[in-house]
Amino acid sequence: MTRSDALPKAMGAVPYAGDLELPGMLWAAYVTSPHAHARIRLLDPSPARKVPGVVDVLTAEDLPALLPDGFVEDPPLLAAEEVRFVGQPVAVVAAETLPAARQGARAVRVEYEPLPSFTDIESEFPRWPDREEMKGNPHVTGHVLARRGDFEAVAARGDLVHEETYRTGMVAQVALEPHACLAEVRGSDWHVITTTQTPFGIREDLADKLHLPAEHLRVEGTWVGGGFGGKNEAILEPHALLLAKKTGRPVRIGLSFREEFLWARSTQPAVFRMTSVVIDGRLVARRTRLLLDTGNSLPGRDFALGYSLGFTLGPYRLEAWEVEGYALRTHRPPFGPHRAPLAPQCAFAAEGHIDSLARRMGVDPVEFRRRHVWREGDLTPFGQKVPPFAAEAALREAQERIRSWRPQLPPHHGLGVAVGYWSTGTTAGGEADLFLGPGGLTVRQGEREIGNGTVVSGLVSVASQATGLPAEHITVDYHDTSRAPYDSGVWGSRTLSTLGFAVDKAARAILEELARRFHPPLPPRTEVRLAWEGGEVRVEGGGRSQPLLELLTPEERKDGGILRRGKHYGKGGSLDESVVVEGALYPYSDLTASVHLAHVAVDPETGAVQVIRYAAWQDAGKVFDVDGYRGQVEGGVVMGLGTALTEEGLLGPDGRLRNPGLLDYRIPTLAEVPPLEIVALEGFPGSGVGGAKGVGEPPIIPVPAAVANAVADATGHRVRELPLTPERVARALGLLGSPEGAASDPGRSRTP
Amino acid sequence: MNSVTVSVNGEERTVEEVPPDLRLLDLLRWRLGLRGTKEGCRTGDCGACTVLLDGQSVLSCLLLAPEADRRGIVTVEGLSGSEAARKVQEAFAEAGAVQCGYCTPGFVLAVHSLLREGPPEGGPWTVEDLRADLGGNLCRCTGYYGILRALARILGEGSGTPREPSTFRRAGREG
Ligand code: FES
Ligand code: FES
Repeated sequence: MTRSDALPKAMGAVPYAGDLELPGMLWAAYVTSPHAHARIRLLDPSPARKVPGVVDVLTAEDLPALLPDGFVEDPPLLAAEEVRFVGQPVAVVAAETLPAARQGARAVRVEYEPLPSFTDIESEFPRWPDREEMKGNPHVTGHVLARRGDFEAVAARGDLVHEETYRTGMVAQVALEPHACLAEVRGSDWHVITTTQTPFGIREDLADKLHLPAEHLRVEGTWVGGGFGGKNEAILEPHALLLAKKTGRPVRIGLSFREEFLWARSTQPAVFRMTSVVIDGRLVARRTRLLLDTGNSLPGRDFALGYSLGFTLGPYRLEAWEVEGYALRTHRPPFGPHRAPLAPQCAFAAEGHIDSLARRMGVDPVEFRRRHVWREGDLTPFGQKVPPFAAEAALREAQERIRSWRPQLPPHHGLGVAVGYWSTGTTAGGEADLFLGPGGLTVRQGEREIGNGTVVSGLVSVASQATGLPAEHITVDYHDTSRAPYDSGVWGSRTLSTLGFAVDKAARAILEELARRFHPPLPPRTEVRLAWEGGEVRVEGGGRSQPLLELLTPEERKDGGILRRGKHYGKGGSLDESVVVEGALYPYSDLTASVHLAHVAVDPETGAVQVIRYAAWQDAGKVFDVDGYRGQVEGGVVMGLGTALTEEGLLGPDGRLRNPGLLDYRIPTLAEVPPLEIVALEGFPGSGVGGAKGVGEPPIIPVPAAVANAVADATGHRVRELPLTPERVARALGLLGSPEGAASDPGRSRTP
Repeated sequence: MNSVTVSVNGEERTVEEVPPDLRLLDLLRWRLGLRGTKEGCRTGDCGACTVLLDGQSVLSCLLLAPEADRRGIVTVEGLSGSEAARKVQEAFAEAGAVQCGYCTPGFVLAVHSLLREGPPEGGPWTVEDLRADLGGNLCRCTGYYGILRALARILGEGSGTPREPSTFRRAGREG
């Protein structure tokens, strides 16, 4: 079925946040820090006020008057004394036009006194730091240590102890639509229209940052031009609202692409020290030590650390394991979640490591994984019972495909496999209203379509399957947070599986109610379905059919139909707290496996990597919407190819991003995408509606690892740093003189 | 500041007081209210702002509005009368080439203008030709597979696509 939003979008008829206008609105532009770390010696907005068209300037000084109940001070909404990253907002200028606002922003006088900056975690921590020493270290904002068994003791008995270090850098979101929002404040109604994956999440975030009661905030989501995790947080909304409050006029703020690159929530750079222990040919223990650059984030906000560590162990049975990580506050921007936050990076380390271990042992890496991978009923390291899980079945299929691809491989070509797993956000709940009238069914909720189709197609398919009414008679109606039922947002691959449940429950509630109203009564427990006939909704059951209209109460007829709300709040994930020594680990919920196979060619002279073909097996649970599913895997794989091969934010010695634009930060183009085989493995049901599992994030996870493993297969050399640029590959091949460079550190193994 | 007169989507429009550095993209979006043309990178690297200038596809973020003076512009809004363009739009919608849709108007215009110009060697268009010419249009959502399917649909049978850009199969527990 063609998505209902597809043709309107192709006709340019769908408005995004940046296309909207409010009468009398002002345009705003940011003044941001050019320094990674500096003291603000002087901040004088007065020259900006003299620029024709400039109406007002917002600085930290204005905040107490605008927000008498206080506001979050750290990180500050606007920098006052100190700037802590390049791109940090210092002031916002509002003007009648955007050029005037920009000119005003340039006119604001700021004098900085540069201070020493910390932007490269490895230069500060070249070796794994001592735990005691780290206790007083001001850079440490989070520490997690968890273990089961005695890793050191098992390692001492190991036949083989394999150690490697993997490094991953900053990956930018690059949604094609930059952030934009419009704000208006009238009395206690703080209204913001914005491009977001989660209107209710933005409301909570704003309530928090501005210390306003949630009911004074009204967030209206617009169509989203790509989210990927970058549109979960209130980034510009606080400034737009404050300027609107200050000027008494609606205010529009949009980010430039440069600003997007500088501070709109890229991925945390990380260093993974991986160790695996083999006894009698079996993988028995693993340890990960992780340094995570969490940018300008605060103590206690180290969710990324506690959430990602588990993924570094991989989906394997282990006798003993240990994970330890530090979140380090640097003078880089706050980072954020980007499609399966950090999981592709964790899989790159974990799956590169297991691949190199198997090769070192002279064992087939896929067979080696099959021997150890979780099966249903196993316990994960965190003590979660493994639900139906397709990894082994997928690995078996990948092996078969390798058998047919391998014999035809030319020189300098290679095949690589990687397994990823993900915990889809099924615990975050949501509610949906269904309104059924003679003219059709309407799903009322607050989420806008972000692009992945879960709202316009997914929820509609669920409603259609639950009621029997054809999808063309089902519409989605969007409301702002003051009228829509609560939902936690389109993220974590959760929408269809949880909000879908809410829609399903609301549909069932309507059908049950209608069944009771049949006259003469239906035999008990007779189910009714909806049908479209003669231009109206009819209700069918027990071999009879009645127009809906006849079954509505007089009240409902007046309102135009019957309304029911469905709610779904999933069970939390489980975590055996006894493994945690320090810090917080976050439990995983539904487990979804993806197994990828990459075929690459490596140019032996330049180190350039080309992906020739690709296959992706995924634990699908149940596929509700084939086109939607397929589109998610296609988009996820290609985004992962960007992470694998080209995407990297490069810092200069001054801590400034050297490539804050698409010219030097390359994302995949149409020219590069390889032929792709997609296999949805059903039959391993998840806890989502109808057995669904989340689909949006899993397909990106194994990509960098699969590509790196294929490069190792083709060349016999492993690159342990992302992305696999020609330079890094050439260095690993010894083409640039030093095969022992940091990026291609050969790893260490010891056999006692 | 001068006035700029353009023929937009077949209609003559004069805009007064156009600053010399106003970009065509901003003229279209904010002075003429045509916001189907999307604003992405503003540096000529994404293709979201593609429009036709005298029939040629151009990046409106890289052109100054005065450069378009007395010339003909077609934006996505102006495609509604064209059957050929409609075919492109429908193919995009039906082939799964549209997810968030932010890149779509730019892609549609770029494809439409290529098809109107005719194939490079005089022979029939192939998907590979089009693909080679569309490298300046980025899409972050679809991985381009839906777009490749749309191109194959537009060109029809025998357009030289060696295979489906992606295949899809469901498998049960036992593969
Ligand atoms: S906005 Fe013009 S090319 Fe990106
Ligand atoms: S559909 Fe989102 S950028 Fe192409």
